[in-house]
Amino acid sequence: MSKKPVVELNHVTKRIGKSTIIDDLNLQVFPGEVFGFLGPNGAGKTTTIRMMVGLMDITEGEILIHNHSIEENFEKAIAHVGGIIENPEMYKFLSGYDNLIHYARMVPKKISKDRIREVVKLVGLEERIKHKVGNYSLGMRQRLGLAQALLHSPSLLILDEPTNGLDPAGIREIRNYIRRIAHEENMAVFVSSHLLSEMQLMCDRIGIIQNGRLISVESVRDFVGSSSKHKMRYHVSPLDQAVELLRSTYDSVVESVGDGFIDTTVSYEEIADVTELFVEHRIRVYGISSIQSTLEEKFLEMTGGEK
Amino acid sequence: MVKMMNLIQNEHMKLYKRLGTWVMIGLILFAVLGLGAFTAFIMESNENTNWKETLQIENAQLQKQLEESPLKGAGETYVQQQVAINEYRIDEDIPPVESQSVLGFMIDATNFTGIIALFTIVVASSMVASEFSWGTIKLLLIRPVNRTKIILSKYIATILFALFSLVLLFLFSFLVGSVLFGLGGVDQPYLVYNNGSVEETNMITHIIQLFGFNSVDLLMMVTLAFMISTVFRSSSLAIGIAIFLMFTGPQITQLLSSYEWVKYVLFANTNLQQYTNGTPLVEGMTMTFSITVLLVYFVIFTTLTWVVFKKRDVAA
Repeated sequence: MSKKPVVELNHVTKRIGKSTIIDDLNLQVFPGEVFGFLGPNGAGKTTTIRMMVGLMDITEGEILIHNHSIEENFEKAIAHVGGIIENPEMYKFLSGYDNLIHYARMVPKKISKDRIREVVKLVGLEERIKHKVGNYSLGMRQRLGLAQALLHSPSLLILDEPTNGLDPAGIREIRNYIRRIAHEENMAVFVSSHLLSEMQLMCDRIGIIQNGRLISVESVRDFVGSSSKHKMRYHVSPLDQAVELLRSTYDSVVESVGDGFIDTTVSYEEIADVTELFVEHRIRVYGISSIQSTLEEKFLEMTGGEK
Repeated sequence: MVKMMNLIQNEHMKLYKRLGTWVMIGLILFAVLGLGAFTAFIMESNENTNWKETLQIENAQLQKQLEESPLKGAGETYVQQQVAINEYRIDEDIPPVESQSVLGFMIDATNFTGIIALFTIVVASSMVASEFSWGTIKLLLIRPVNRTKIILSKYIATILFALFSLVLLFLFSFLVGSVLFGLGGVDQPYLVYNNGSVEETNMITHIIQLFGFNSVDLLMMVTLAFMISTVFRSSSLAIGIAIFLMFTGPQITQLLSSYEWVKYVLFANTNLQQYTNGTPLVEGMTMTFSITVLLVYFVIFTTLTWVVFKKRDVAA
């Protein structure tokens, strides 16, 4: 990519005592992309995020946000950042609106009442914004967390488990919203999550971290579709005849047979060949779809399961 | 640059939108009302027309005491000053201030600065520790404001709470006193012994001075609580230690007063009134000495608070 990165991590290392929590991490996030940060628990996701927002010291290396070092030039660097670190904990005895006022007072440029209203509307909290946060559900607090992160129109959004505690509709809404602001407003979004399937739908690129090391950074498309074999599902009738035909023609193509369909593992060319075979033998084909190998499978494969 | 005003405004919002804060303020007002009711309706009226006689008897006793068991140094001067002031009262016909007058009541009410110290310790203890226990510290520190400003705004808000409470105590005790006892005797002067002669000064100035003296202790204990709150991130620990020390510190230093090193202990120096009326705890201590010691402690407390808050990795 020729664009300048919004955030750059260069040889970032964090040691606490003798143990190395983060080991020589290098990555860049560019404007307009959603970067997923994936890893098992304890891999160092939260530590990395804490260093990115200046909550923790960096032992070695540097983190640059718009070319300002988060350590040496904290105020300039962090001004571009909006974030939720872990759960969005707010002042429970204040209303949602007062919480936003609180954070609005902490940025150099003046944030108008209109802007606050706009953000509140964006996250869909208009009706409850004057209520005390103590009475909010986790999902509402998550939305308020997003609102405080977006208040000052940052160019880098850092979200730690943003869909945690949301219902499916809420997850979908937040996901769409994150993708939209990244692509329309050219914002860089850095998301960590353990919900792998979520990441697949939300992110453009994904970095996998394990034991403090970044083991892979790939775009989601490459990541999921990198294998030369494709999983294809054929909806055909009559089913028995089709299975028989496939088994007799190819060696190990049929993976499983379901209710009215056959799942197969085939090469790119074979997708067309199999179709042709069905048609030649007068088997009616109702549908051909590809089953993507999920990120989760890939992820477990790469990190070696539970280890 | 984020204005300091905004940050203090934030701390105020967080402080005064909590019920607990108003309960504390309510208790201060309640205490003043209670004292007023006690003074007006239960306390025996010692309104005696022959106060001159009483003072004469007191003087005679003091003189006798001086002759029989001569006190050393400052103790002796204190008694002599007391005698001189009493004589001045008799000569100039200025009766002593009674509890059942607005000014006497206000003087009694200055003792409630102890309660204010207690409550301000509670406020100071939760200032930093609560942000950690609520988990809000993370969102607070990822703003374009450096940590020095944040900790300073919290300290200022704490001190402003104390100041607000003190002003409230002063005004409310005046209000309650004047309602219960009328405005009689407001022009009564306060007598001070200065360079060998008795002088009349303004009573209100004296009361404000009393507030000032009591606030020294308050300021030091609050700063200590604020430090513990920041260093250990535990408000209960901060409240516990600060209140324990506030109550036992003076007694312990009193017990140990025969040792020379005691004069370097914080609590030997917090009561600056020991120099205006009474005996210094350890001989040879002066007002300047105490103020220097207090300043050293203050600088240690605040520097430690600042360094720890600035350097800490926030992992809570």
